[in-house]
Amino acid sequence: MSPVIGLVNYGKAGNVFNVKKALEFLGAKVKIVEKCGDFDGTDKIVLPGVGSFNDAMAEIEADGIKESLVEQAGKKHILGICLGMQILTKAGFEFGEAKGLGIVDGEARKINVGYKIPHMGWSYVEIVKENPIFKGVDEKDSFYFFHSLEIIKTDQILGFSKYNDYRFVSAIQAEEKGLFGVQFHPEKSRKSGLKVLKNFIDL
Amino acid sequence: MKHVRIIARLDVKPPYVVKPIHFEGLRKKGAPEEMAAEYYEQGADEICYIDIVASLYRREFLYQHVEKTANSIFVPLCAGGGIKTVDDFSKLFHHGADKGVINTFALQEDVEIIDKAAKIFGSQAIVVHIEAKKRDGWWECFSDCGRVRSEKDAVKWAQEVERRGAGEILVSSLDTDGTEKGFDIDLIGQIVSKTNIPVVAASGAGKLEDIRDVIVQADPDAVAVGTMLHYQITSIDKIKRYLKDNGVEVAI
Repeated sequence: MSPVIGLVNYGKAGNVFNVKKALEFLGAKVKIVEKCGDFDGTDKIVLPGVGSFNDAMAEIEADGIKESLVEQAGKKHILGICLGMQILTKAGFEFGEAKGLGIVDGEARKINVGYKIPHMGWSYVEIVKENPIFKGVDEKDSFYFFHSLEIIKTDQILGFSKYNDYRFVSAIQAEEKGLFGVQFHPEKSRKSGLKVLKNFIDL
Repeated sequence: MKHVRIIARLDVKPPYVVKPIHFEGLRKKGAPEEMAAEYYEQGADEICYIDIVASLYRREFLYQHVEKTANSIFVPLCAGGGIKTVDDFSKLFHHGADKGVINTFALQEDVEIIDKAAKIFGSQAIVVHIEAKKRDGWWECFSDCGRVRSEKDAVKWAQEVERRGAGEILVSSLDTDGTEKGFDIDLIGQIVSKTNIPVVAASGAGKLEDIRDVIVQADPDAVAVGTMLHYQITSIDKIKRYLKDNGVEVAI
């Protein structure tokens, strides 16, 4: 039986097309989640990465799914992609401060090292802790990044990547909650990214 | 070290990819979704799909072709041609594009569409295409695939679109496009050095050295290649291997 992935749709740009396409390509069933009852019948949850921190959190609150999302953590595996990972932390500082879901430690801050922002392009992931979602991924696998914020103040780190010479957290895990976050876009990262999504589907 | 992105560029006159020489004299090459899938397999970092007649005939964008193209690739897709409204951008994104590319309407009719689109979709999703032609000591922006003048200075225009929220600039040269004689390195270098957003160098690649030269001399964030791929002069994996052997960092 292929698992049903609940794909949370938030943000005005609202484009979940590419994540849905990749998950389906890998054999998963996808259910779009837009209100709290929609979590019923899903086996795992993916938070995609589009829009801004503030908009995404506002949308999640407006749709009334904030509490049920927090409730799902620990019961179902969750994968946060890019912004979808950032909103799992306690707070984001994109346009002023906005509260995050607070499911994992840390906060999301603008990358501020003098390089062009957003960081857009391909980088490797230096995996610092053995874990199931990077199974089969090695140092030659590159991933597509597209972000202005980075995660800081967390020790739940799975991997680091580099933007030119600047090293930042690019993957996190809250092991006891079965939760993962990746800063890159696995749905846009060729076979390297598909490996990560497949590992998540197979958890 | 930054990884320079190698982008496969498809100029499309639905239902075919065409290869314009100086943006005229179109030659049919194949179905865009099939070519996109092939370049994806070869290791393209991104696919850039431009409907080159949409603007001219004011025809509705062929969203289903963009969607078909998006369906066969797992790398970013940049698409455009004939965008006139925020809703046109939105439709593109809902059909699988990650970025929308605009030139004519912003250049000739209403530049504020850049501000509006960037506010809604984020700067990262808005790419401005500059089609420039060398004048005496400056470059003039053109629209409608090089058919219509604007009298606007390409470097100043690049700075203006950055100010208005564009997240990336695709720079084509009407002098070098399709000629396979090398990029307009001065033009690209000027735009790179006077803006702070990623710049994609396009137009003119005829041999591998041309690609290395524009990267080394003008420092763009990405290079778009069309003709060399469509005529099988080379492939994305060969370009990347060559660049890597010549000291340019690329994602393989």
